[in-house]
Amino acid sequence: MSESFSGGCQCGAVRFRVEGPVNHASICNCRMCQKAFGNLMAPFASFKAPVEWTRGRPTLFRSSQAVQRGFCNKCGTPLTYQVGEGNPALAIGAFDRVNDIVPTIEFARENRHPVLDNLDGLIPEDLGSTDEERNMLAILRSFQHPDRDTDNWQPQG
Amino acid sequence: MSQNELTGGCQCGAVRFRAESLGRPSICHCRMCQKAFGSFFGPLVTGHGVVWTRGQPKLFRSSNLANRGFCADCGTPLTYQADGHELELAIGALDHPELAAPTIQVNPADRLPYFEGLANLPMQQRSAEREPFYAAVVSYQHPDHDTTRSGDSA
Repeated sequence: MSESFSGGCQCGAVRFRVEGPVNHASICNCRMCQKAFGNLMAPFASFKAPVEWTRGRPTLFRSSQAVQRGFCNKCGTPLTYQVGEGNPALAIGAFDRVNDIVPTIEFARENRHPVLDNLDGLIPEDLGSTDEERNMLAILRSFQHPDRDTDNWQPQG
Repeated sequence: MSQNELTGGCQCGAVRFRAESLGRPSICHCRMCQKAFGSFFGPLVTGHGVVWTRGQPKLFRSSNLANRGFCADCGTPLTYQADGHELELAIGALDHPELAAPTIQVNPADRLPYFEGLANLPMQQRSAEREPFYAAVVSYQHPDHDTTRSGDSA
C-alpha cells in the first residue's frame, strides 16, 4: 500500500490529502513563481493520485491564461499550481511531513535569485539569542494548525 | 540605488508598496515561516518607511505576537510584523528581489534536511514538447514596476 500525505495552510481552514508516491518534486525560479510565493523560488510536489480536499478549498487566482494558483483566503498560504483542469501540484512547505518531500529538480535556473548559489553559506542566527527574543518565545502562542489532521479545528487569528 | 526601485507588490497587482529603504535581509527556517510561505523558509527584509500605494494586505494573526499580511485576491505572502517591531517584507514580492540578498539564516534548528542541496539540483531542460505551452502563455502577473490606476495613492 502506498503512503498518503496530508497538509494544509497555516490557519487550518484548507486541508488536503493525497496518496503517494510523489511523482515529481521541484523548485522553480521563474519570476511568476517568485512573486506568487513572495519568495526566492517556489517548491512544488505533484502526484498521480487525485488531490482530496479534506477541509475547505483553495481560492484560485488565474496567473496566466493557462494556469491557476490556489491559496487560502483566510491566511494566504500558497497551496497549488494547476494547468487547465489537471490535478494540482502542491506547495511543498504546506505538507505536514515536509521533510519527506525532497525536491529533485530545478526549473528556470536562468532566473535564479543570486543568493540561491550561497544559501548554505548564510550566517546562522539562533532564535532566542537575545533577552528580548527569549521573552517573546516564553509567551508565544502559535495559532498555526498542527502538522497533522484534526477532527475539529477552528481557525484562529 | 534609486529609492524609486524599492517597490513591490503581489502577483495580481491589487496590493502595491514602496519602501524608503531596506534593512537586514534574512531567511527564516522556522516551521511557521515554512507553512505561511508554503516553502522551505521565509525570506524577509526589514522595510523602513513602507507606504501602501495600492490596496492593503489582509492580515492573519499567526500567533499572539505577530501578524502576517497577504493579498486577499491572489494570495501572495507580503509581510510579517511582530508587535512593536518594524514591518518585514517578503523578498520575492519586491519588484527587484535581487536588491535584498539575504545575509543571515534565522532559526537554523528548523532547517529542512535537504536545504543544503537546494543549489545543486539537476536542472530541468526545456523540452521541445513543452515549447508550445511556454510560447502560448499570456501572463496576468502585474509587471515589476509601478503602474497607474485611478484611486492609487501617490
